[in-house]
Amino acid sequence: MAETEVSKKRKRPIVRLAVLLLSHSVLVSVICCTAGVFGLLLLPVLAKNTYISENALMPGSASSMLSNQEVSEANKLIKELNNLHSNPLGATTESHGIVAKYMSNLGAQVNNHKFHPQLNQFHPLHFFSGPDSGVMQENSTRSLYGINTVGIIRAPRGDGKEAIVLVTPYNAVKGGVRETLSLGIAYSVFSLLTRVTWLAKDIIWLVADSQYGEYAPVAAWLRDYHTPAFSNLDSLNTETCHVGNNNFESKISYGIRRSGTMAAALVLGVAYGNENEDTLGIYAEASNGQMPNLDLINIVHYLAVHRQGLRVKVEQFHWLLNSKWVKSLGEVFESLGKMVKTLNPDWKLGISAADYVEGAATLASSLYHQALGVPTGPHGAFRDYQVDAITLEFSLRISFDRLDRRNDFLLHGGRLIEGVIRSVNNLLEKFHQSFFLYLLTSPSKFVSVGVYMIAFALLVAPLPVVAASLYAKTLDLNPTSEKDKSATSNELGSVLQSWKWLNSVKTVFVVHFWGATVSLLPYFISQIPDSDPTTNFSVWILLSILSLEILRWILVSPSSHIYGLPQGEWATLKSATISSFFIGLGLMSVINFATAEIGALLMVPMALMAHPLKLDVRGQSLRSILRMICNLVLGVITFPPATFFVFKGVIEGFSGINAGDFWNWVESLWAWNSATYLYIGMVHLPCWVLCVQILLHPC
Amino acid sequence: METKKEEKKSKIKQTSSFWVWVTASVIFRLILIYFPKNLNFSSRPEVATPVTSIRRLAEGYWLKQSSMSPYAGSMYHGSPLLLSLIGPLTVKRIEGQPNHLLCSLLFLLADVVSAMLIRATGQTLQMSSCLSLKSLDLVELSKNSEMLSSGDIAALVYLWNPFTIVACVGLSTSPIENLVVILSLYGACTRLPPLAAFGWVMGTHLSLYPGVLIIPLILLLGNGPDAPPRKLFLQRRCSKGGKNPSSDSSCQEEELFNQSKLPITFSWKPVIHFLFWASIWSVYVLVLCGISVKQNGGMLEMFKSTYGFILTVEDLSPNIGVLWYFFAEVFEFFRNFFLIVFHMNILVMILPLAIRLNHRPCFLAFAYIAISSMLKSYPSVGDSALYLGLLGWFVFELADLQFSFFLFWGCVGVSLLSPVMHNLWIWRGTGNANFYYATAMAFACFQIVLVVESVSAILNYDRKLRKLSITKPVDGKS
Repeated sequence: MAETEVSKKRKRPIVRLAVLLLSHSVLVSVICCTAGVFGLLLLPVLAKNTYISENALMPGSASSMLSNQEVSEANKLIKELNNLHSNPLGATTESHGIVAKYMSNLGAQVNNHKFHPQLNQFHPLHFFSGPDSGVMQENSTRSLYGINTVGIIRAPRGDGKEAIVLVTPYNAVKGGVRETLSLGIAYSVFSLLTRVTWLAKDIIWLVADSQYGEYAPVAAWLRDYHTPAFSNLDSLNTETCHVGNNNFESKISYGIRRSGTMAAALVLGVAYGNENEDTLGIYAEASNGQMPNLDLINIVHYLAVHRQGLRVKVEQFHWLLNSKWVKSLGEVFESLGKMVKTLNPDWKLGISAADYVEGAATLASSLYHQALGVPTGPHGAFRDYQVDAITLEFSLRISFDRLDRRNDFLLHGGRLIEGVIRSVNNLLEKFHQSFFLYLLTSPSKFVSVGVYMIAFALLVAPLPVVAASLYAKTLDLNPTSEKDKSATSNELGSVLQSWKWLNSVKTVFVVHFWGATVSLLPYFISQIPDSDPTTNFSVWILLSILSLEILRWILVSPSSHIYGLPQGEWATLKSATISSFFIGLGLMSVINFATAEIGALLMVPMALMAHPLKLDVRGQSLRSILRMICNLVLGVITFPPATFFVFKGVIEGFSGINAGDFWNWVESLWAWNSATYLYIGMVHLPCWVLCVQILLHPC
Repeated sequence: METKKEEKKSKIKQTSSFWVWVTASVIFRLILIYFPKNLNFSSRPEVATPVTSIRRLAEGYWLKQSSMSPYAGSMYHGSPLLLSLIGPLTVKRIEGQPNHLLCSLLFLLADVVSAMLIRATGQTLQMSSCLSLKSLDLVELSKNSEMLSSGDIAALVYLWNPFTIVACVGLSTSPIENLVVILSLYGACTRLPPLAAFGWVMGTHLSLYPGVLIIPLILLLGNGPDAPPRKLFLQRRCSKGGKNPSSDSSCQEEELFNQSKLPITFSWKPVIHFLFWASIWSVYVLVLCGISVKQNGGMLEMFKSTYGFILTVEDLSPNIGVLWYFFAEVFEFFRNFFLIVFHMNILVMILPLAIRLNHRPCFLAFAYIAISSMLKSYPSVGDSALYLGLLGWFVFELADLQFSFFLFWGCVGVSLLSPVMHNLWIWRGTGNANFYYATAMAFACFQIVLVVESVSAILNYDRKLRKLSITKPVDGKS
């Protein structure tokens, strides 16, 4: 005994700390998890005001040059396009011609870009490859095509190696006044920019043909812009594309015209406003929760608010605005903030309850849209090429029919775009100064990665601690059992004992492998012709269960029969499960933070609490019964479809729920190559299955 | 008798399941080979280094075919022998099949052969360790190692290691390099000096670093395979001699037995044999190289762009090692100094390890391979696959390996994180080189911990043996 005490004293402090942590793993996990959730709720309070980090941008330092002259020219274009809509026959081809004519009259280089809309398809292996390694799809229907019109102004002071992109989605067939107005704004800016002398970057104006959705044409144009095309493709394009009977149109080339690398891209849209002010909506989320550089949002916000008097808004969850518990939480934080202020007036933590509710609703929506991994607009296509892009959606107080209002609107919108372009034009390098990883809590407030990672790290910190303590406990268990067996001198047992954890690791791997097959199954199921989502969903579930049983039969059973494992097995299984889940969450937090955060909120309690039900039933104490109930509830809730339906029910009401909804949701995820889909299939679901296996463990 | 029958049955079952798993691994590789475009392993920095990449080899072959020096333009940095061996396969296409099918099949074959050699070596190792344990009267310990064949385990670990699979499917030449290293170890274990010498010479020729294996190979040939420390046998004999002076004859007999089975003295004959053959093979290889590079450049250029390229770390494209980042940052005038420091790192560890582990040459070889694959200038996952496979030989000795659980999960985590960080840096542009380098450092850390812990586990095992062999006679008395 004396010896062991001495050796204990000699242990290094770091080892002692680790031992202390491991021995109090339950306490540690409770404290860390609560702190993690608390930290997440605190994020709206901790949000900082945005500031323009790149000095070269200098937004608003030059006075706007856009005048009524450009606006009246834009009005001419709008009028002509609107007239075209009154006779829809032939509007498609002619509208391109009109836009192209206006562009070339301004002295810009114009070309048309023909593209075939590609149905979003599931590429199981293309998640982590770069954008250009996406193999061109051959099976897209050749008869459908759209035509983008592209105009390029060559910068008088530039070398043609950089460009700024303006995108206006325009549907020639169904396009209403809304879309022509966005064309009008872009045209007014474009016409100004042909005459200015300060331009150092080329301006590309892409009129995207949005009859097959707004994203597809932009993505197609970007792909063709970035992939070098060789002669045969060009000739093919020009051959097939002499559709226009208009004289002017046949002159426009269909080969893609290029400028340099893109510094930034702005997508313009106009919406019917139903609010009391002119507002500007900013949409920034690209695929897999990637955001453009914060500086881009900052200059738009600065110019819109301080120069043009627009109200800027970002997306919010409106149902959260009215929720009572968020309000009361805000009040708690407000009073806490006041209290803190009395302690030290320098600490500025207090925000009002109303601000908190606003911030929480915005933050929740920001988290949700990032977690979904689906871009919120055509700007998402740019992010795949490392171009910072946002969508600006103007919405007006009253209808567009009154000409003076419309002129005013065009002037303001045009000046805003002009200011943004002028700022970006000043850039010497691509955006890099400000943040790429952030969450917005209002248009002018953000939470940076350094802050929100703390909440996440606290939430997942218990995972390795619990895994280690469980593993250490099984190690402690083993020597005693070995001593019991020493009579039989089963040394093979002892060797196997020390490698025993490999068995549970094998189980974990088998289940993760199953997860991979489950994520591949929809690819095959979607090939079934004429099937509705509900049957697809049920087929998917059936096949998943079947494959799990087959895998179990092939891989797991023989070894576990030969070396029947003692009671500690569920503990090693749990520690292996938790380790793999921790790794999965860690990876996901790098790929898409928001998914990892939401996944951790759902699954961490379940993973930490999982405990065989049989032992709990035998336990008979209040603690074990409580644990059992928690486990059962969590076990039901964390099953991905169940989670989906619960959330949908809470937000939209339980009445309209259909089993096929989940299939549709998942389909939208994989159609957009969202990593969230992979997370659900290969991290979340296997972890859930393993937890259920632990719950049902026959010990 | 019945137990024996059962044992036999289980043995048969084991071997049959072993072959099932081997065929499964082959089938798995074949499936992966048929998706080369989707997987794109051959362009991953983890798999293909400037030294092992098959693309560069194909380029070098093309240059050679158009009668230029294959080393022109700093594209190819491998051996000219590989060019004439694999080069024709890179050009040959079969209609309707993946482009590099023949190469892939060659690497697959190399993997399978390596696994078989690992298995055979493992079996010899196991047999010799059983013998030595029996001669120490530790029958129980020897029994358990008879139940599970460590050779089988090592072979399966090698075949099913994701690193091996990726290196094979990703068409890097590391399967071939691994094969010759294993060949030399096999030759030394089965006391075939010519084979050992061939493997060693080829390994050194192909990737330079296996050169350090000359020490374990000589020890293997001189002392025989891994055994407990020699002191133990001497002690054992002395104690036996002291304890039963009456039964002198039996003791002497046993001594004779021991001496015949376990050579206590270092036998020079196979070593000299080995050195002789090594010199013959190296002359042979040099002559072959000389012939193949005679027309363009000559031997000096070859040495400059193979060994020189490895030693001076010219290519700083990112890989899973720790050198590229360092030499990208270091000032030019310090470069030579740090080159020497980094390469000394490998050499410094050779002597102490050789002294401490001279009774376990195979384990020593494992330690050398692990250290050099961590500190080499262009490491790839194929190198890690080799020493992880060799680790399987020592399942019983390393049963008390500390932190094995955490090492395992750490390795899994880091090896998954590294491509994600690469993606973040190269494709998304939201990360930077530090992100990727951090995972490389973490990987190096795990390798260091693995080496340190496994060496200490082996030493602990030896201590345990000593304790057991000292206490055993007392137990027998009581």
